[in-house]
Formats: sequence, C-alpha cells, structure tokens
Amino acid sequence: MKIEIQGLNKIYPNGNHALKDINLEFGTGMFGLLGPNGAGKSSLMRILVTLMKPTSGIVLIDGKDIQKHRKELREMLGYLPQDFRFFTSLRTWEFLDYSGSLAGLKNRKERLSEVDRLLDQVGLLEVRDRQANKLSGGMKRRLGIAQALIGNPRIIVVDEPTTGLDPDERIRFRNILSQLSQNDVTIILSTHIVGDISSTCQGMALLNKGELVFSGSPENLVKQAEGHVFKLTLTPYEYEKVKEQYDVISTIPIDTGWEVQIVSEEVPVYNPVSIIPNIEHAYVYYMEHKLHADMID
Amino acid sequence: MTFLNNIRTVARYEAKTLRRSWFFKLFSISALVIFTFLNIGLFSPIGDESWNMVSIPSSVPLINLFLLNIGQAIVVIFLAADFLKRDKKVDTNEVLYTRSMSNFEYIIGKTWGILRLFLGLDLIILSIGLLMNIISRSMSVDIMSYLYYLLIICVPTIVFSLGLAFMLMSAIKNQPVTFLILLGFAALDMFWLYYRFGSIFDYMAFGFPVFKSGIVGFDNPGQILNQRLFYLFLGLALVISTVLLFKRLPQSRVHTTLSWIFMVLFLAGAGLCGFNTWSYYQKSINVKKLTIETNRKFENSNVASITDATIDFIHKGDSFEATAFLKFVNDNNEGLERYIFSLNPSLSVSGVTLNGKQLQYNRINHIIEIVPGKMLEPGKSDSLTVSYSGSINESFCYPNYDDNIKDNRYRIEMVNVHKRQAFVTPGYVLLTPESNWYPVTGLNYYPSNPARIKVDFSNYTLRVKDEKGLTPVSQGKLGKENGDYVFRSESPLTGLTLSIGNYKSDTLKVDSIKYITFYFPGHDYYKKDLSELRDTLPLLVSGIMRELESTFSTKYPFKTLSFLEVPVQFYSYPRMCTQTRAELQPSMVLLPEKLSTLRNAGFHKQFTRQKKRMTRNNQVITDKELQVRLFNTFIRNTFISGENFRFINGVAINEPIRYRLGPSFYFFKNNFYSSEYPVINAVFESHLQKVTAPGQGSFAGMDGGLTDNDKANLILKNLSFRDLLAKNPGSDTVRQVLSVKGDYLFNLLRARAGIDEFSAWFKKYIDDNKFRHVSIEKMNSDVREKFGFEFYPYLNDWFNKTGQPGFSITNFRVSQIVVDNRTRYQVTFVASNKEVVAGIFNVSFRTGGGRGQTGGGPQIMDVVMSGGGPGGRGNFSISMQGRGMEASDISKIVFLGAREAKKIGIVLDDQPREMMINTIFARNIPGQITQPVNELEKPGDQAKPFAGEEVLPSIPSYDNPSEVIVDNEDTGFKISQQQSVSPLKKLLGIKNRNATSYQEINTYWAPEYWQPVIQASYFGSYILSSVYTRAGTGERLVTWKGVIKKPGYYDVYCYVGKSLERMTVRGRGMGGPGGPPGEGGREADGPGGPGGSTGGQQEKGPYQDMHYKIYHDQGFDEITLDYQNAEGGWNNLGRYYLSPDTVKVELTNLSAGKIVIADAVKWVKAE
Repeated sequence: MKIEIQGLNKIYPNGNHALKDINLEFGTGMFGLLGPNGAGKSSLMRILVTLMKPTSGIVLIDGKDIQKHRKELREMLGYLPQDFRFFTSLRTWEFLDYSGSLAGLKNRKERLSEVDRLLDQVGLLEVRDRQANKLSGGMKRRLGIAQALIGNPRIIVVDEPTTGLDPDERIRFRNILSQLSQNDVTIILSTHIVGDISSTCQGMALLNKGELVFSGSPENLVKQAEGHVFKLTLTPYEYEKVKEQYDVISTIPIDTGWEVQIVSEEVPVYNPVSIIPNIEHAYVYYMEHKLHADMID
Repeated sequence: MTFLNNIRTVARYEAKTLRRSWFFKLFSISALVIFTFLNIGLFSPIGDESWNMVSIPSSVPLINLFLLNIGQAIVVIFLAADFLKRDKKVDTNEVLYTRSMSNFEYIIGKTWGILRLFLGLDLIILSIGLLMNIISRSMSVDIMSYLYYLLIICVPTIVFSLGLAFMLMSAIKNQPVTFLILLGFAALDMFWLYYRFGSIFDYMAFGFPVFKSGIVGFDNPGQILNQRLFYLFLGLALVISTVLLFKRLPQSRVHTTLSWIFMVLFLAGAGLCGFNTWSYYQKSINVKKLTIETNRKFENSNVASITDATIDFIHKGDSFEATAFLKFVNDNNEGLERYIFSLNPSLSVSGVTLNGKQLQYNRINHIIEIVPGKMLEPGKSDSLTVSYSGSINESFCYPNYDDNIKDNRYRIEMVNVHKRQAFVTPGYVLLTPESNWYPVTGLNYYPSNPARIKVDFSNYTLRVKDEKGLTPVSQGKLGKENGDYVFRSESPLTGLTLSIGNYKSDTLKVDSIKYITFYFPGHDYYKKDLSELRDTLPLLVSGIMRELESTFSTKYPFKTLSFLEVPVQFYSYPRMCTQTRAELQPSMVLLPEKLSTLRNAGFHKQFTRQKKRMTRNNQVITDKELQVRLFNTFIRNTFISGENFRFINGVAINEPIRYRLGPSFYFFKNNFYSSEYPVINAVFESHLQKVTAPGQGSFAGMDGGLTDNDKANLILKNLSFRDLLAKNPGSDTVRQVLSVKGDYLFNLLRARAGIDEFSAWFKKYIDDNKFRHVSIEKMNSDVREKFGFEFYPYLNDWFNKTGQPGFSITNFRVSQIVVDNRTRYQVTFVASNKEVVAGIFNVSFRTGGGRGQTGGGPQIMDVVMSGGGPGGRGNFSISMQGRGMEASDISKIVFLGAREAKKIGIVLDDQPREMMINTIFARNIPGQITQPVNELEKPGDQAKPFAGEEVLPSIPSYDNPSEVIVDNEDTGFKISQQQSVSPLKKLLGIKNRNATSYQEINTYWAPEYWQPVIQASYFGSYILSSVYTRAGTGERLVTWKGVIKKPGYYDVYCYVGKSLERMTVRGRGMGGPGGPPGEGGREADGPGGPGGSTGGQQEKGPYQDMHYKIYHDQGFDEITLDYQNAEGGWNNLGRYYLSPDTVKVELTNLSAGKIVIADAVKWVKAE
C-alpha cells in the first residue's frame, strides 16, 4: 500500500494555515508523525481519515484520491482520535460491537467472537460488561485501539495515542502497535512524544508550524545529529553557564555537580564527551539547530 | 444489504443509548405508571367507565395516544436536539464517522432508532389500553383503530419533531435556542395554533379531529390523510435536509443525490398535502361566503310555499340521483314571475320540467331560479320537476359558522370530533333538510335578518332505491313498491330526513303513537341493561309523553316518534332563526351512535354503582325500580329538559339542547309569520318551547353571573331589537334576546287578556292552526275579536324602539288578614318606573313551609352560595316566570307606564315566603328580584283586602338631600390602571382580557383588571354591580368623586355587598332591611361573592383588608376596612370636614386577601 500526500494545504476559516504544502509518501508499516503541539499533525490526521477536507492538495492511497474514494478508504480504515474519553452509555463490548457492525462484520456471532478476541488482545476482557465511560484512561485508550482494529483495517491512524498514559500503559500500547505493524498494514502514528516513534517506525515525518521539515527513516533523523550530542560533567557554576549557552537534554546530579547531555553545533568546552545520539537527541537537534539554521540560510 | 445493516446498526445503538438516558427512563416509567392508572380509571370495570369514553371502542387507543403524544412530542424534542449535540461533544463518535457508511444511512439510522423507541413505548401503552378494552364489559374491541391511531397521531408527530429538531440543530447549532424554538412551537400548537386555518399547524393532532366512528369509521379520511401526511412528509424532508447539512464529509454521491431527490420529493409531497389541507379549510370558507352572498341577493325575493313533494331517490355509492316533483302555492300578496328554490350547491341540476316540458332556469350557486313563462298569482298553485344528482357540500349547511374547533367545539372528553352535517357514502347515507338535499323554497340563512326562517308544511312522498340493499329510514308510512321503499308522510312536515344504512329496528306502540328505534347491529345494549323494563316500558313511555303534552299544553302532533342512530360525527350548529337543532326532525330524533355523547346512557355502570351505594346505605331497591329510575333520568335529561352549556373563552354559552323534544310541540306544528317582523316565529318558539325542570336553576344562577335575561337586557340597553338583528350577532345573543322579547310579548298579551283566559284561548288557537302558517296580522285580528284589544300596534315599539323601563319595588309588606272568615295574606308594594318607556313585570310567590329551614337571603343566592349564604336549600325551585304556554306560576302581571308608580295589592290564600318579580325586559340587572317575607304583619280583622292596582299621583322619591352617593355604575366612579401587553401577545395578536362585559366573580383566578360583576347583594339603582380585581400591591386604583354643596362634617360610608344582610332591590338611599341569617347557614366565602358574615365558623376568605383613602380638608386619611367582618350594607369609614367642592375616596388593590371589591361610596352630612 502506498500513501502519497501531494501539495496538501489546510487553511481554517479563522485564517490559521495549519498545513503548508505538505508532500509526503510512505507505505506499509508504521509511520510516525512527529512535531510539537500545533504543528498540524491532527489536521493532517483528520484529512487522512476523511473527517476534514484539505484546502488544496490531494492524498492518494494506492493512487486513489481519498476525497473521491471516501467509501473505499473508510472501509479499510481504523482510527483512534486524540481525545478518546467520552462515550455514550454503552458497555465496553457494545462499543466494539457497534464499531464492528459498521466495519462490515454483519454476522452477529462472528462479530461477538471478534469483539471478545480484541478485548482479550488489549486486556479488557475482564471489563467487557463495564460501562465504557467508567474505564480508566489507559483502558479507554486500549478500547480505542481495539475499536480501531476491529474489522481488520489496512490503514490504522492513531493520533497522540500515548498522551496521558502512565509508563506501563505507554509501553503496553507501543507493543500493541509494534505487533500490529508486523502485519501487512499501514499504521500512521501521530505524536509529540519522541519516544513513541523510536525504533518501531519504519518511516517518519517531522512537522513544525504546518510545514514538513523532515521525512525519512528515524535512523536518518538520528544520523543528522551525530557529532552534535555531548555529555559534560559540570560543577554547579559551570552548569549554570551551560544551561544558558546550550540545549540541555538531560541532567543527572552527581557528587561533584551535574552530568548533563547537550546538543550543540560546535564542540563545547567543559571536557565534552561525544555520544551516539538517539531519536530524542536528533529531534532536539533538528528542531533547535538544523531547522533554525536552515531558516537563517 | 450494507445499506440496511448500517441503518439498523445505528438505529439499534441510538435506541440503546436513548433508552439508557435518565430523561427517557423517567418519561417512560412515568408514562407507564400514569397510563396504567389512567386506563384502569377510565376503561376498566373497576374504574369510571364513563359512557362517552367506553361506548365507542376506538376511544381507548385515541385517548391513550392523544395524551401520550403530547408528552412524547415534548420529550422527543429534547432527545432529538440532544443527539447532534452529543455527537459534537463526544469525540468517540468520530471513530464512527470514519466508518464506511453514508450520512444518509447514519441520519436515517438515528431517526429510526428514536422513532422505534417511542413507537415501542406507544405499543406498550396501547397494550395496557387493549387489556382494559378486552376485560371491559361495556366495550367491544376495535383492533384496527389501535394501528390507525398509532400511524395517524404518533408517527407524523415524532417524525416531524425529529426532523425539525435535527434541522434546527444542524442549521443554528445551538441547543438552547433549538429547545426554545421547538418547545415554543409545541406550546403554540396546544394553546394557539391547533384550531387555526383548519388545523394546518396542528402537528401534534392536538385539536385536529380524528375520531373514528363505529358506523362510518373515519368520516374525513382525506382530510386526516392530508394533514398527517403533510407533517410526515415535512418531517422526512427535514430529516433528509439534516443529511445534507450534516457536518461529516459525505461518502456516497449516490446517497447524497438520493437525499436531494428524496428531500425534494418529500417537500413536494408535504406541499401537496399541506395545500390540500389548506384547501379543505379555504374551500369551506369560500362556500360559506358564497352562500351568504348568494342569499343576500335573494333574501328579499318572494318565494312560494311547497305543499307537496314527491322525491325519487337512488343511492349510488358516494353520490345519489334524485328527481323531485314539487307542488307549491304562492302565499304572497304579489304574483311570482320567477320561482326560486334552494338546492345544495354540490348537487347539479340536470333539468327542470313542467308537464314534461323543459323550463328555463338559472343556477346561481345553490339557487335555482326558474322562469315559468307566466306569473303565478297570489293563492295559486303550480308544480314542476327538478332532476339532480351529486353529493352534499356540508359547508353550505351553516354558512354563518366557521369551522373553528375552538369556538364551536364538539368533543368527547378531551378529543375533538369532526362535525358532519350529512353523509353520502357507499355504506351509509344521512340527509337532513339542513343540507338542502331536495329543492326548498326558503333560504338556509338570511344575512340581513338571521332570526328569520321560512317554514313550509309539506306532504312528502319519498321513493328510495339503494343499490346495495341497505335499509332506508325516513318519516312517514313505509311501503314497498316495485322493490323500492316508499315513505308517505302522515301529516305535513317542515322537512324530510333520509338515512340509509344497515339498520335494525324495534317498535313499541303506546297510546296510538309508534315509537321506533333504528339502530345498528350490536348497538342495542340498552335492552340488556334495562331488561327489567320490558313489561313496564309502555307505561313509562306513556307517562313521559303525557308529561310532555301537559308541559307544552298540546298534543304530540305525529303518529310516530323515531329514534334514529346516526354516526357520532353528526352535529348541528345552533341556529339564530330557531331553537330547534337538526338532531330533532319532525317525528324523528337523530341520536349519536351508542348514545355516546349522552349523559346517563351508561345504564349498566350506573346501575351497578347506584346499587352498591344503596346497599352500603342500607337502602332497599329492586332492580326494576332502579332501572325505571335510570330510564326516567336518561329520558328527562336527554329529551325533555336539562341545559347545554359550552364554554367559549371562559364564558358559559347556553345553547339549545340537541335532542330536546320541545320543537315537536311548536316548531314542527305551528308557524306564525310576518313580513314586517320576520323574527316573529323565532320569538314565539323561544317563549313557547322553553322548559326548565323544577330543581334546575340556570347555570348563570348557579355561578352568580348573569342570567340569559340579564344578558339580553344589557345588550338591548342601547339597541332596538331591529338594530341588534341587523348587527348579525352571535347565536347565543340572538337566543337570549329572542327569549326576552318573547317573554315580554306574551306577558303583554297575558296582562291585557288575563293570564288564565289567554292561556286557554291560545292553547286552542295553536291546535286549531296545526301545520298551518298563520300571519301575525291574522292572529292580531283573532285576539281583537276574542279579547277586544290589538297587540299589533305594540310590535312597532317592541321591534324598532330603543329604551327600557326601570323598576323599583318599595314598601313591600305582607299582612295576615281575614276575608270571609278565612285567613288570607295581603301583599302590597309600590312599583315605580322612572324611565320614559313603559314596561311590564310579573309577580309570583313562593308559598308554604318549604322555606322554613332556610335563611332569609335572596332566593337566587340559595344556589349561588356554595357553603355560604342563607343556609340550607329547602324546598327550592326557580320560577318559570311566565315561560311556556301555561305560565301558571304567575300571580300577577303589572303594566307600568312611563314615569308611573303604582301601589299593587295581591291577596293570597297561602302564606308567602318570598315574592319573586321578573322584570322581563327592563334596565334592572339582575332581572329577577326576590323579596323575602321577613315579617308578617297582623293588622287585625278590620283590615280590608286590596287586590289590584292603584296609580300613585307621583313617583315616590327616596333621595336624601343630605347625602351624596356614587356607585360604580355612575360617572363619578373612575378606574385607573395600566395594562401592558407583552411583545409576544402583540405579535400573536392576543389581547389582554378586559372588562368588556359583566361576569361572575372568580375567587380562584381574579382578573388583573377591574372586572364588573353583578349580584343581587351589590348596590345600584338598576344594575346591582360592583367591580373587583386581584389583590396586589396597590397598582390598581378606583376613585369615587362626588360633589357636595354645603361645608361641614360628613360621614363617609362604603358599601359592602353581602348576600345575607341585603334586600335585593333598593331605591337610592333606601336599602331595605336585610333578611335574617339562615338558621342552618354556615359562613364561608363561596365563589359567588362574599358570603354571609354571621353564624358558623369563619374561614379565611378571599376578601380581607380593603384600604380606602378618604380625601378631606386636612389632606387624606387611610382607613382599613376588614371586609370579612364588615356588616353587609353601608359601613362608616369616619367623619371628616369637607368644603363644597368635589370630594374623593380612593381604593387600591392593596390587600392581604385574594380579591379587592369596589361598589359604592356615600357622604352623609352630619347633623
């Protein structure tokens, strides 16, 4: 499956230019959409799931414009919106049953069996008959992913899925997505939490203020930060100075003062030790230095 | 299939979600509880089983769904408006929006979900009703009506409410505003729109008549279908418009296109049905207008009188063909160049022939104008044949009535019944003369004189052929000729009625009169319920007929009396030209199916209930005795007496009773006519057919308001009879005025001829002129011949002149005297008439000991004061005051010339308890004056009896020069108040109620303005009135202003009108002594006015502190009067020094009570 986004623009009635000429292409597997809040991720997602029309530009799925082939897209779509908290008075299984029926599972017996399978998969079978509204935040997210999965969708769009989840739930959620991505499906994951992208995404895009600033594999993004991430051991006095001069990524107190990691274009003083960057380092480097430098150029 | 699956899925979960909402749960549980009790209470054997509810089985689903629909129409607004709001609020719904379904499927699914939920609830409620229906002994089951009403009432209402709510929420996206609009529309429908423009705006079918008859089913299926489809289609169009407005990107171009197509189709369907609904209304208005306009053109044309009519009638499904051979005579004083007949405008005339020769004729709406080619001289006869066919346009029948279901209400309990004047269907036919189904010479309405009527006494022969073999029923002797039914009238009739249906009949012959009941199979329930009467029925019927003949002083004129069952929808409007309703025809009464609208017709339930009560009270009564009682009560209330009050805008209107047999004894038998006074027959009818059963006071008397006589006198205060008729007043006004004018005319005749002498002569006179027209000039000459005076000259003033006499009754004394060694009772009083118009009044007495246990208050107040006033009811009856043929209760009729006073003496054999004076046509309001006999003088044996009249040299004056009185009727009395009209009322054209006429006191809902009220206990020279208003903070004010001539100290009084302490008639300055308090009287303020203030326990009444502001030379003083404990009559407010000038007293509505009342104030110069 190939998803192509060509010249996509979204301008809201209030004049907010949420997406600016986005061009993107990706295929099967997990694709991460990273960017700070307000970068335009949700707008892009909502266009992808046909909840919203772009102002201009097209999205092609296997060469078909989704605005012209909404039915086909919706038939292969599973969607988990950013804010999946408030439900009508339905029980957990009923919500899945509702989604399943609309996803084309017409046989009641088969549908109920699928509902239970998915509930089991996301660890909600025990709360099958509980009111969906009364589930915890994590359970609601899991219910959300279960409903996105029902009917075996070929495209799964998950918008900020880990927001508000505790670390355990977040790991569990990432694992579910990771397992899913092994199948022949496209998962589009939007997040502002860099850790959600990590190694699970085959491809990713970085959005900032409505513009696509990077697209490629996470490794490529990380590669661009190589030689720009350093570890420093600092006295408290030095630490104060470093904080003002560099982007500090992490700070660990030690007996003599602080051990900090920084991102910097040039090699800092204070006995720097160059370290292998991870995606978080790369994201900071990209957003704070590369992008800034590009804009100045 | 995906299409249906998606709709079903959305519907299932929408229904599930709604079912779990607290709002729906609350509503459905409440509905289940309420309707269970309601059904048990109304329809089950342990409940009320009110006959008008259980007699027609379709009432069960109708009443249930009518009430439920009101509730669910409101609830559905909240639920429907909530759905889009919820979709917007609950983000999880977005996951549904990304599923593969079209917006059409989603919205239709939502709609179906809500609809099926409500329909489910409706079915449960209907099941409860059906269960009661099945177990009830009194009802059969009309299972189809359950389905019909669900489709007619509920489905369109819910779909329209849903559609409107969806559309508004989609368009304005504001839930509170949507609620406001929808609830406002629902409220408007129930309170304002439901009856307007032919109920086109009545989306809830709140007032729209959908009653289903057990005989003809829905009589107006086209109208029902169009009105309800209008809302169904409109609702569907709105639902589909929501699909198009829905904020989700559409996924199916086909569905979007289909949505547009369906929306346009539904809108077109709604437009068509709406147009048809409007057309029913507009066409009816047009026909009525056209009828009136056409009649206006022909009302002054001379017409012939039909003496014989032979009608051949062939019933052909929804229409009929007929040929009428008419023989007529010119009884005008001039020759006739044209023959004018009236025939229902929907009947098309195919030819008019005379001896086989076609005559030239013009059809102008309902008029057939025939040019015979030669003049028909006065007294000469002619004949012709009219061939015609078609059906009946019922809008023609009562052109002066619109079809407004609010003002002209016909209801069974809370549901309106469609009013029909004729039926021509394949299975049933009903044609009364009012529909002009055969050519007649008179007009059905005379626009310039609505009280005029043309009555012909004709001999009819009716030949009926029915293609379906149904049974025809008509007047006259029935025979069969060549397979056709032939009816030949046995005496001349004023009109002919034909009904064709699946009739069965029973006949009972008593005293040479045949009583025939025509009923539909299974509707003769009364035979079983009154099975014990089989043997005694002839005796009972004979007794009732004798009683009727005795009441009307004349024999029943026909050989048969048929009771014909007709569909419940058959309804006649009261007419201004006659008191006779179309339900009563010569020798025939048209009764509603299963007697459904008649009180006391549920014999079985009444029997069971009364039997139980009697057993409880250890009373022994046999089944037969009880059935006799029930039968008699039913017959009396239905056919003999009773009253028929209808409330229009809170005002009680007394209409002629639909089934009363009175017209059989005058209207169908006699006719007096006058070209100069065309109203004369209606006047005679009004007077002679009046029956009020002993023990039944008028409704007005019961509630302290105005009697019909009073209303008529107020109307005629500044209008002549002629002027009033020219104003085309309402039928109730005409009836009241006819009644007063009739009473006046007959009392005048009695006064001149002698009461007994006139009665004996007149009784014979009308029998001698049975089935004949008698001109009033002829009667005048007959009266002159018999009694030596003419009444015709009086008629000019009686009809054309404005002005009324005004009577004062003073010096009323009763003494015990001895005449010829027998104890007699001498009554004397002075009657004066200060006005420039002469008048008459009659006097009657209540004698004997019946009043012993009662208090001495005015007689009429016995009825007025519930729980208060004079005490026990005693042996009570309201005097007929000279109504009807006999007028046997009148002791004396007094004629008083203009500005004349007479001393009147009457000698009675029995001791009088009360003297009752009926001022008939006078300025006195109330017109019935009651003088209780409080003191019996015993002057000794030397007292000479005085019986007769003595004209006094001058009118006695009781004015006291040292006092100034200002009554609320005087010019010195002013009302100041601000009345604001709300913008909404302005927009809707609703006017605030205001004091345009006298009304009765309503202590529960006092008006927010000063409302004049009449009561015998109030002060006044002729009109005994006061004004009252709702108590408040003093925002409403009345002022009495008087002029005093001399300076000095004055005692200021206010008048407190209390029934016990007051004489009912006062001259200025001479309020008579009050009657003694009732011995058994308990004090309480009844709704009619402040009750007696003495005796018994006091309750905190509506009248409490009244705050008078008295202006004097030193400024003003505020005096608080404790009205409840004040004496009846004048109450002293204090003594003040006043200079010659205008003096003033004010009263505001400031009070802790409920009501403030203002009557009269007087200033009395201190000695």
